[in-house]
Amino acid sequence: MIELIVDVLAVGLIVSAVLALFLDEVVYSVAALSGTFLFTALIYYFNGAIYAAIFQFVVGIGTLAILFLSGEMLGEKSLKKTSPARTAGLFGAGVVLSLPAIFLSVSGQTDVASNVNIGDALWTLRGGDILLQALVILTVALGIGIVLFERRKK
Amino acid sequence: MDFVILSIVMLAIGVYGLLTNRQLLKVFISIELIATAATLNFVMLVAAPQGLSEALLILAFSVDTAVSAVILALLVIVSKRYGTSDISKILSQMQENEKLEESEVEAQ
Repeated sequence: MIELIVDVLAVGLIVSAVLALFLDEVVYSVAALSGTFLFTALIYYFNGAIYAAIFQFVVGIGTLAILFLSGEMLGEKSLKKTSPARTAGLFGAGVVLSLPAIFLSVSGQTDVASNVNIGDALWTLRGGDILLQALVILTVALGIGIVLFERRKK
Repeated sequence: MDFVILSIVMLAIGVYGLLTNRQLLKVFISIELIATAATLNFVMLVAAPQGLSEALLILAFSVDTAVSAVILALLVIVSKRYGTSDISKILSQMQENEKLEESEVEAQ
């Protein structure tokens, strides 16, 4: 049952990715991209990667909020609108593109083992990465702050 | 369901969009799709226990978010400077500006 749900989610993922790229209206493209993020989070969830699903969902919401705002700023108002026939064609193309992932197989491993706690993984196994990542973010924030301060002085 | 093929298809769609779209925002969406394909591989395929793969995914997410923020900032700056978000128009305006600068230097 879960395999069938994941298959349907994979089809939805590819279809929404195709629609996000090839729809003419920017707002509809961003809405389709929200579908991509949602389907990815659901695929993670149904494969047992709950933390990954939560992070994907949260990051996706943030990205979409910014994209909707910048879509209004950057998107040029075009009179051209996507016809229903083109939308249906894109939908069909997405379904066709997702079929190889459902029916073909190139890897033996599809499920992931679940024997390490994420807390252990983050702090015991990847603690160095986390600290270095914090250092990088701090450096970037300081750099942005210095650039803004110099600009204000000028 | 094979997640290798799924992420390869996602990657191919993203790369195709990156090469063919002329709108800056669509280029950004293509980059997001490529990043999603990469993270899908992280969770589903990495030859490590799930907790470790999710920890790696969190690192990938933070890098992806930082890259997205920088790209979006660049897109806003470029589109404000040139008054359009069409790459071909921006390129033609840049060439015109270069020609103007060269003619000004020659005149001096």
